[in-house]
Amino acid sequence: MNSDARRARFERLAPVVIDAVRRYLARRTDPATADDVLSETLLICWRRLDEMPAEHLPWAYGVARNCLANAERGQRRQFRLLARISRLDPRPAVLDGPAPPDGDLERALRSLTAKEAEILRLWAWEDLAPAAIAVVLGITANAASIRLHRAKDRLRKTLTASGHEQSTEGSRP
Amino acid sequence: MTDDDLRARLRHADPAASLEPASPDQVVHLVEEAMSGTTRRWTLPVAAALVLIAGGAAWAVTRPAPREPVPPPVAAASAPVPGVVVLTATGMQAKCREPEPQRLAESADFAFAGTVRTIEDGRVTLTVSRVFRGEVVGSVQVAQKGESSEQMLGSGKFEMGREYLVAAADHTVMICGYSGESDSVGLRDLYEAAF
Repeated sequence: MNSDARRARFERLAPVVIDAVRRYLARRTDPATADDVLSETLLICWRRLDEMPAEHLPWAYGVARNCLANAERGQRRQFRLLARISRLDPRPAVLDGPAPPDGDLERALRSLTAKEAEILRLWAWEDLAPAAIAVVLGITANAASIRLHRAKDRLRKTLTASGHEQSTEGSRP
Repeated sequence: MTDDDLRARLRHADPAASLEPASPDQVVHLVEEAMSGTTRRWTLPVAAALVLIAGGAAWAVTRPAPREPVPPPVAAASAPVPGVVVLTATGMQAKCREPEPQRLAESADFAFAGTVRTIEDGRVTLTVSRVFRGEVVGSVQVAQKGESSEQMLGSGKFEMGREYLVAAADHTVMICGYSGESDSVGLRDLYEAAF
């Protein structure tokens, strides 16, 4: 591929990748880290454009995931803690409109393992099928499918359990 | 609760749901930044590296024989041998990000170019032709664990008679594109940029 065609391909792909990866990062880290990691992800996408498969989003999420992991490793422990607090306790303005934050869901997600919660996020937020989740996580499609199924089951059970607790402890007579 | 209900509930809590899309200006800026980042990195260093490789080859041909014989390889890694550095290469597979000269410069405490002379019981001995960073030694031994290290550029492991560029941090060979055959694409440039 000559360099003009390469540039043209990147310019065509980039807006979609930018939009998707920005969302991916906004869901997982603080804004400053998200900006840095987005730039780095794009740089890698550009350099490795020839390796980019036709289904480019899961691949780009995979790159972003690695970059984010590296960024978080590199940051100081204290800073990481702060970032995590801001992620676990986002300002209400970040949430969708007037809907109250779904406390049960947040608690349920937190009770799952990090891997389970992440696979559910990829499924629901990034809207990925098991095969695409497999590309992001670098596992087989079969493993992704099994893990997703288990994670859904666990979340469902946790939500149902917390729902029961609430109805017994709640204000209803 | 069906899958659809579950997904709907998760989506409702999506922190990015109200994220404004990036402005066209922002997109253009990001795209330009990504593409120019590579241009900056590759054009000049490639030219510089070609000159250095030619110079290095000429030097290798014309250099005088080492005054002292290279210390013989030793079997055990325990006792430090003068003139020999002992490193470990893990066969671990890892997800890597693109190697960067800056990271190489920051992380590596020892880096050299060398040719594999012997491989015995997973112990590779290289004759050093150039030390980029660290103690100047005649040879280096690397304990090559496992079958291969996929992240070593080139064939993935040390092979007899080939020349390698090797960086190490804390006596462990840095993989992930930081070490490999010296003719691997971009590796020489990376070293020249870093050291």
